[in-house]
Amino acid sequence: MTPHRVETKAPQFSTESPLKIALVEDKRDVRESWAKLINSFPDFICMCKCASGEDALRTLPPLQPDVILMDIFLPRMSGIECTTRLKNELPRTPIVMLTASDDDDLVFVALQAGADGYLLKRTTPADLRSALIDVLTGGAPMSSEIARRVVESFRQKPRGHDDNIRLTAREEETLMLLTKGYSNKEIADRLGVSIETVRSHLKHIYEKMHVQSRAGAVARYMSGNHVGQS
Amino acid sequence: MRWFVRQRTVSFNLISRRAYAREGLFLRVCRAVCMAAFLFCHPVFAEDYPLTRPQKLTPQAEKVVEQLGLGSWIWTTNFQEKQTCRFWKSIDVPANDPVRRAVLRITADNSYHLFLDAREIGEGSNWKALTEYDLTFLLTPGRHVMAVDGFNDGREAGVLLGMRIALASGKQLDVVSDDSWLVVPNTAHRWLSRSRPDAEWQPATIVGVVGQNPWWVNPVNIMTPPTLQPYELHFWKTTWFLGAVLSICIVALALSLWLAAKLALQTRAQELLDVERARIARDIHDDLGAALTQLVLQSEVAQTEFPETSTARGHFSQFCSRARAASQALDEVVWAVNSKRDTLRDFSSYLCKYAQAFLSDTAIRCRLDVQPGMPASVFDLSVRRGLLLAVKEALNNAAKHSGAAEILLRINKEGENVIVVVEDQGNGFDPEAVGGAGNGLQNMMQRLQDLGGACQITSGIGAGCRVEFRMPLAHPASRGGFSLRSLFNSQNGDTHERHDLDGQ
Repeated sequence: MTPHRVETKAPQFSTESPLKIALVEDKRDVRESWAKLINSFPDFICMCKCASGEDALRTLPPLQPDVILMDIFLPRMSGIECTTRLKNELPRTPIVMLTASDDDDLVFVALQAGADGYLLKRTTPADLRSALIDVLTGGAPMSSEIARRVVESFRQKPRGHDDNIRLTAREEETLMLLTKGYSNKEIADRLGVSIETVRSHLKHIYEKMHVQSRAGAVARYMSGNHVGQS
Repeated sequence: MRWFVRQRTVSFNLISRRAYAREGLFLRVCRAVCMAAFLFCHPVFAEDYPLTRPQKLTPQAEKVVEQLGLGSWIWTTNFQEKQTCRFWKSIDVPANDPVRRAVLRITADNSYHLFLDAREIGEGSNWKALTEYDLTFLLTPGRHVMAVDGFNDGREAGVLLGMRIALASGKQLDVVSDDSWLVVPNTAHRWLSRSRPDAEWQPATIVGVVGQNPWWVNPVNIMTPPTLQPYELHFWKTTWFLGAVLSICIVALALSLWLAAKLALQTRAQELLDVERARIARDIHDDLGAALTQLVLQSEVAQTEFPETSTARGHFSQFCSRARAASQALDEVVWAVNSKRDTLRDFSSYLCKYAQAFLSDTAIRCRLDVQPGMPASVFDLSVRRGLLLAVKEALNNAAKHSGAAEILLRINKEGENVIVVVEDQGNGFDPEAVGGAGNGLQNMMQRLQDLGGACQITSGIGAGCRVEFRMPLAHPASRGGFSLRSLFNSQNGDTHERHDLDGQ
């Protein structure tokens, strides 16, 4: 494991070793294009391209990439299922979902399954780069709609005995501001904190969402398999 | 009575056998004499004829007959056991002399059913008692048909009847059971309502008088049922009325069956349409969307292969943003036609996204206030589309003219309405002055009114602007697609829909 990445707040991807990105995408042309785009950034390198979820589960754990970009629609094993399984193998590696359309239902399910952020496929290279940096330095940006659903999902759950799946007051405040359309920068100004703090709040919110959904899954399936990992 | 006769006959037979055995002439003569004497005294029994013969009225019986207005016991000559015998008689009540009171007294051995003008008046089965029917109200001027259906179980048979009619003029009519009654054969049909007798009908036979053995001189009892009232024929009992009701019912039934069939067909068509819409949306999304995404990515990659200053790179950059815009537009179209997205929740999230994206290109901040837990109620496509266009217009106006630093978009659900507010604290304007044509406001309001909604603009110079839209969740003319109008008039509904599309 490489704990320094997730704990650090300042970007550490300047010089020595470029950050390793893994890509899971079934269409060859799209896969190659993404790889070329990523490689065009000086501080990122596309270390692995997988054509299917099964492939990713086999190859990625030993390679230990820094970020995984995952297509949400994959043949056979879906991107969402693959994300859940990869999270068991690589709990600290952020996974960013790639979606062709802005479908909140799907994105929300993916986030619950363990994704740490999401990107539209038609995003610009500049946005791609900043999203990768965001997810490495904290939580990926969250749209107001997703924030609204997160708030709802936390409100719906009965108060759990596990403090990990309860939001702190600051996290809840951050979410509420997001639902009202504030950007990370505006939230930082308003709360009088740095933008990195806002990102770390987001990161914790994502993590709690994963724990929460996993706790829910455990309750649903009465299976103890995932508990050891969380 | 007959039983007694038979016993005697049997005893004579026994004697005669013995007599023949002895071959005694004296005894034979004695027997003949006895027989003759017996036959002389009891001619009826001797013939083995069961009917009684009328005798003379005793003075005591005469008084009773006079007092009660009775006739004689009558029956048919063709006597049988367990016999039904029908009597028929028509009477005429004078037209210019109405009935003041009419009382009919009847009894029968063993039972009777009494009819007047085919209406059953009553029945009885106690020959010892008389029943007194008050027919005053039934005997209107004109011809009436009286009918008695008598039944005899065995032995003596007879029907005794008398009706005393007091007329307004003081005259009295007596209708009594006598040989003026006709015996109707049991094979005759509808004899109760016959106004004229058949030529074959035979007159009744008088079989006894009042007081004749074995019948009574004074009835044991006189029963008086309540006065009979004429049938009142209300209009709802008339044939034409019942016929009309019946035909209305049939028409209603046929209509509802037809509507149900049409509804079922339409529901099926709607389902097919939804499935087809979803399929088209999926196809567009999967094929076209993926191709566009690929285009964007490939041109981004191609762009990097040229030096920063080359014109080709500029072209590719432009190409990229065009393809990106096309991809986004495609998403919007797919969103609009996807039936899975027909909910208020999806609409509200889409509107927020649109507002944020639209205002991100400007210096104006976008603030959202969406009711938490927005329900997934169904939101009619036409209303949704109309409201979206109107809100876009309002956002556009605010971005262009308000000069505000912040625009608030508020979405709430109130009952069966959705309320969208676009609010800013900018320059504002005087609604009176701008109220005229040319600014799209009129259009916007008209469109919303057509869809059953309302739009309210509150503004003043320097006081910001607040535009409130209030829309029903379902289009009033096609609520759920099941309205009667849409059923009867599906052609019009189609053109209406097309008009909506054109309106965009």
